[in-house]
Amino acid sequence: MFDWPLLLQNLPLLLDSLLVTLEISVAALAIGFVIGVIVGSLRLSPLPLLRRLGGAYIFVFRGIPLLVQLLFIYYFLPRIGLPNVSPMVAAVIGLSLAAGAYIAEIMRGGFLAIPGGQLEAAGLLGLSSGQMLVRIRVPQAVRLTLPALVNEMILLIKASSLVSVVGLADLTRTAQNIAASDYMFVQDYLMLAGFYCLINIPLAFFGGLLERHLKERYA
Amino acid sequence: MQLDSLFSKKFNGLCIALTLAGACMAAQADQLADVKKSGELVVGTELQFAPFDFTENGKQKGMNAELFEQLGKELGVKVRFMDLPWPSVLPGLEAKKFDVVAGPIIVTKARKERYHFVLPIAEATVALMVSAKDSPISKPEDIAGKVVGAGKGSAQLEELKTFAATLPKKVDVREYIDNNQAYAELGTKRIVAVANSLPNISYVAAQHPDKYKVVMPPFGKKSYFAYLGRKDDDANSLIAALDSAMLKMHEDGRLAALQKKWLGTEMDVPKADFEPTW
Repeated sequence: MFDWPLLLQNLPLLLDSLLVTLEISVAALAIGFVIGVIVGSLRLSPLPLLRRLGGAYIFVFRGIPLLVQLLFIYYFLPRIGLPNVSPMVAAVIGLSLAAGAYIAEIMRGGFLAIPGGQLEAAGLLGLSSGQMLVRIRVPQAVRLTLPALVNEMILLIKASSLVSVVGLADLTRTAQNIAASDYMFVQDYLMLAGFYCLINIPLAFFGGLLERHLKERYA
Repeated sequence: MQLDSLFSKKFNGLCIALTLAGACMAAQADQLADVKKSGELVVGTELQFAPFDFTENGKQKGMNAELFEQLGKELGVKVRFMDLPWPSVLPGLEAKKFDVVAGPIIVTKARKERYHFVLPIAEATVALMVSAKDSPISKPEDIAGKVVGAGKGSAQLEELKTFAATLPKKVDVREYIDNNQAYAELGTKRIVAVANSLPNISYVAAQHPDKYKVVMPPFGKKSYFAYLGRKDDDANSLIAALDSAMLKMHEDGRLAALQKKWLGTEMDVPKADFEPTW
């Protein structure tokens, strides 16, 4: 069933494209996290306008399938005069915007779990709302929502398999191209599945370690 | 009255400005000049369409790469390929992500309305490919009452449907996002045959004689494969340059040599604009 020499020959190609998948995933996670913190705090803002703005963001970017968002960013925006971005930029923008929407909801849950008394105390100590966000709310929210955040990271890495629609040769696209030329569909796609596990299993493991570490340290 | 004249003055001014701007755009809008200026012809394609485009050890191979290398030489520019899933290729052309599309795709009347085709490079008549081992299909008519696959949105699919309608028993036609999925389905026995253009399936069957074989003769009407560009006026110059490069390759035998190398035989294809059969 397996053609081992062929499998070994294909391995370096998949390793190269693994880098592409990792690059866009890491970039999208970082940007998505910042968007998530901002939108998540907008959703909890005392001002109704800001609350609605955050809600609208989540409505749009959580509501539309990522595949459609990617196609829209890459093919439609240039038609209405916006810059004709490269496949890499389009992929990172698309993934970040979507990840931002999910992370915003996760962070909102985390923010809500922080006792109000802490924020009052911080206010009395003279911290600005920005300082409160960075020093008090985000660190605690991350600790409280770590399992959900790790979950989201894994989902994002898997969702990055959609970026080939904008012309990026990620892990999935490369495996498809290989399968289309050697016709070893089962072997090539099993190998592809293996590569995603290779990223996600350690991620889940270190997520668990970090969780335990934070618990011992702060709880 | 005064207001009127003021308005018309302004309006005239606006018209002049718009005309000037329009003239400027018209002067710039020449795709051939743009390509020569950048020194690069960008070609959108899908690297999953053997023998035209496929990968070997991660490198692009096939007739497109070699033919475009020659076209690039004639134009005096480098050629850069972009690989996208087929459903993204034509939208990409329209969004100006690349200059032309390789494919190639079958020239049909409907497609000619929307895109500007370069002169054809190969014949594209549709035939059937079946599993090499114990296939119940030995002539095209045998697919009556069976399940057959073809690429979604492809001209080959339409050809299959037209042929199926002439058969006594209903054919269950399955549509696949790309041809390779359909080829894979022959292995799972979910379908008994795949309809695709003869050059493609001949190549696949020749590469994997243990898995696939072609059912002769082809059942479709005579049709042709060609590269294509945008239909906008600014694209005319580029297509015209590619056409004359293609004619030159007809004359000096380069096209015939590439056909022989990749498609197994020389093919008689139109050397001027032609009316597609469908």
